[in-house]
Amino acid sequence: MKRRAAEIRIGMGSCGIASGAEAVRDALVRAGATVKTVGCNGMCHREPLVEVVEADGRVLTYGNATPEMAKSIVRRRGWQAEAPALQGQRIVLENCGIVDPLNIDDYLERGGYRALTMSPEEVIAAISESGLRGRGGAGFPTGRKWALARSQPSAVKYVICNGDEGDPGAFMDRLVLESDPHRVLEGLAIAAYAIGASEGYLYIRAEYPLAVRHTREAIRQATERGLLGGLRLEVREGAGAFVCGEETALIQSLEGKRGMPKLRPPYPVERGFRGQPTLINNVETLASVPWIVRHGAAAFAALGTGNSRGTKVFALAGKINRGGLIEVPMGVTIRQIVEDIGGGIRNGRAFKAVQLGGPSGGCVPARLADTPIDYDALAQTGAIMGSGGLVVLDDRDCMVDIARFFLKFTQSESCGKCTFCRIGTKRMLEILERLCQGQGRPDDLDKLETLADYVSRGSLCGLGQTAPNPVLTTLRYFRDEYEAHLHERRCPAGRCPALIRYRVNANCIGCTLCAQACPVGAIAYRPYERHAVDDQLCTRCDMCRQACQDDAIEVI
Amino acid sequence: MRKTLMAGSLVVVCVAILATDYVGAERHPFAARAAAEQKRVTAARLERKNRDNAVAWVLIAAAAAFLTFAKGLVGPAKVPVRGDRSATRGSRADEGVRPTLAAAPELDLEFVDQVVAKIGRGKEAGIPLLQAIQNHYRYLPDEALRRVCELTEITPAEIAGTSSFYGQFRRSPVGEHVVRVCHGTACHVSGARQITEELRRYLAIPDGEDTDAARLFTLDEVACLGCCSLAPVLMVDGHTAGKLTPATACDALKVTA
Repeated sequence: MKRRAAEIRIGMGSCGIASGAEAVRDALVRAGATVKTVGCNGMCHREPLVEVVEADGRVLTYGNATPEMAKSIVRRRGWQAEAPALQGQRIVLENCGIVDPLNIDDYLERGGYRALTMSPEEVIAAISESGLRGRGGAGFPTGRKWALARSQPSAVKYVICNGDEGDPGAFMDRLVLESDPHRVLEGLAIAAYAIGASEGYLYIRAEYPLAVRHTREAIRQATERGLLGGLRLEVREGAGAFVCGEETALIQSLEGKRGMPKLRPPYPVERGFRGQPTLINNVETLASVPWIVRHGAAAFAALGTGNSRGTKVFALAGKINRGGLIEVPMGVTIRQIVEDIGGGIRNGRAFKAVQLGGPSGGCVPARLADTPIDYDALAQTGAIMGSGGLVVLDDRDCMVDIARFFLKFTQSESCGKCTFCRIGTKRMLEILERLCQGQGRPDDLDKLETLADYVSRGSLCGLGQTAPNPVLTTLRYFRDEYEAHLHERRCPAGRCPALIRYRVNANCIGCTLCAQACPVGAIAYRPYERHAVDDQLCTRCDMCRQACQDDAIEVI
Repeated sequence: MRKTLMAGSLVVVCVAILATDYVGAERHPFAARAAAEQKRVTAARLERKNRDNAVAWVLIAAAAAFLTFAKGLVGPAKVPVRGDRSATRGSRADEGVRPTLAAAPELDLEFVDQVVAKIGRGKEAGIPLLQAIQNHYRYLPDEALRRVCELTEITPAEIAGTSSFYGQFRRSPVGEHVVRVCHGTACHVSGARQITEELRRYLAIPDGEDTDAARLFTLDEVACLGCCSLAPVLMVDGHTAGKLTPATACDALKVTA
C-alpha cells in the first residue's frame, strides 16, 4: 500500500460551522497545514472537531478546537487520547467525517459506485434477505416495497428520496446528506435500477441549505462521470410543512400542490408521482443500500435482533453529556445508549425518560430503560422507533409540558384535511394548556384519552394517527404528574410557568448576581442582604437561578 | 473620552516631574561640601521632596481617574438597561441604522419574468417559483404573485393555496434581519421559551407581532434547525449561534449590527 502523508480533517457540517469551524480551518491554513474539509462524524458535542490521521493510521483528535490551537495541531501537540464514544459497525455513517462530501474521488476510493453485477431481481432479493426496513418511521420492509414497484407494468417509474426530515429533535438525514451525499445517490441509483426507473427526485428540507448544496454538487459530479446509469436526478426543496414527510403528501408537494395526504390504497408504488408507480424511500434507508449490495445481505442481517436487522442511526440530544449522531446495532438497550454512549445525564441530574420518534413517538420512562431498540419492543412501550430522534429528559422536565409541546407541533402542522386531526388535536391542546396553567377540569384526563382514541382512528395519515402518542405515553407512565397539575395545581418538575414561583433561600450570600441577571427588575439590588423575588414582576425566565452560584434560588 | 485623555495626560505630566526630580537629584556626600553649600542643598532637597509628595498624590488620583474612565472605553460595551424599553430603542436608533421598508417602492417585476423563464410554466414549477421569489424579495409580494399567474398555468387560487399552506412562505415584508429561534424538542427542554420571551422583551416586539417597530428584526419560531446538540439554538440571517442563555441570545443579535 502506498504510504500516505498525514491528513488533517476538520468537520464542516452545519453544527461544526455553527460552533466556529470556519475560523479554525482558516487558522490551520494560515499555520501551513493542508486541511481536508469533511462532514460530521457524529461527535457533535466536541465540535469544532479536528482529526489528524497520521501516516501510520493513528488518529489524533482535537475536540472543541479553537483558532488558537492551530499551531499545536500542526505540531501534533496536546491532542486528546479520547476514543470515539461511538464504536461498533457503521453502515450509514461509514464515511461521515472521513470523506470530503464535495469530492467524488474520495467516495470512489472508499469503494463507492462499484459496478453492479447483479440483476434487478437479485438486488431486490438481497435487500429482502437483509431484513432492511424503512428507516423513516413506519418500518415497512424495503425489499417488499421494491418488489411491488418492480412488478408494476408501467413504462415510466419514479424513485424519490425522502429527505423532508421535519421531526423536531432529529437531524440524521441532514448529517448524512451533508457529509456523504454520494452514498444516498448510489442507493437511489440502485433502487432505480432494481425497479426500472429512469428519473428520480430528492426532496430535501429548505431549512438544510448545506445539505441541498452538497447533494446538488454530488449529482453534478456523478452525472458527469456517468455513474448513475442514465438516471436523471433533481433536488427539490421542501417548503416547510412537516406533513410532507408523509409519502402521498410529498408527492402532492412535488406536483406543486398543497401537501395534503391522500387515501391509500392506491399506494404510491402503484400510482404516485404524475400518476405513475413511484418508490419513496427515506435517506437513511437508501444510505444502507450500497453497504448491503457491497457486503452482502447476510452481513447486514447478522446485526440486530428478531424482525429488526442492521443498524439504526439516532440523533442523541437533550440533557445528555455527549450528544450527537450515533449508529447502533438494533437490539442495544436504551440504557446503553444513554449511559455508555451518551455519557449519562448532564449536571448529574436524574434520568427521567427518553422521547423517541418525535411528535409521532412517545416517552419511555427510565424504569423501562432496558427495553431493546427494535421495532416491536418499542411499539410495546407505546413509543415508536420513528425516524431516530432520541431526546433525553431529566427530572427537571415536566411530562405534561412535553406532551403539550408535541401536540402544539402536530396541531399547527396538521394539514386540516381530516376533521379529527384538525379539530381533535386543537381540543386536546386546549386541555393540555389548561393543565399547564393550573386550570384543569376534573374530567380532563378522561377526555384526553377519549379524544386521543378518536384522533388516531379518524385520521388518514400517520401524522394524525400518531399525534396522540406523546400524550398517551406520558399519561400511561407519568399519570401522577398529570394529577398533580390537575388536583394540586402544582408542577412537580418545576417547569410550568403558571404553577411555579421563585424563592431565595438561606444559602443567599447577597452577591447581587441574580439582581443583575433579572431582566425585569424583580429582584432589588441590595448587596450583602438576602435577596427577594418580587412575584408580581417575575416572568419565570429562570435567569436568576442560572446566575446563582450558591444554589440559593429555588423553584416552588 | 475627553475625561480619559485629561486624566491620562495628568498621569504623564506627574510621572515626568517625578522622573526629572529623580534624575536631577544631587547625590554627592555632604562631607565634601562647605556648610553654606550644604544648607543650600538641604533646602533645595526639602523643597523638592515636598513638591514630589504633592505630585505623587495627584498622580495616584489621576491614575485612578484614568483607569476608571478608560475602563468605560475599552471594557464590555455598555449593556442597555434591560426591561427599559425606551433605553434599548434609543441606543439602537443612535447608531444610525436606517429603518427599511418605510414606503414600499415600485416593485421591480423583471425578476419574476426571468425566473419563470428559467424554472418553467407548468403547475409543478409552482413551489420552486415561490421559493425563488421569496429568496429575491424576502417575502411574496402580491404584485409578483399576480405576475406569476399571468405568465404560467398556475391559477390565483392555487397560488394562494400553496403560499398559505407552507410554513416557509411569508406574505408580508420582513425586517432587515430574520432571527429564527429553534423550538425543536432539544431546544424546548433547554429553555427555548425563555429565549424567545427575552428576545421579544429586548426588541420590544408587541404581542401578536413578529417584527420590531424599526423593522430591524423579525422574530420567527421554527420547528427544528437540526443542531440539537448545540441547543438552544438561534439563527440570525445565515449565522447560527448555539448553547444560548437568554442573555447571550441578545448578544447574538449584535453580530448583525
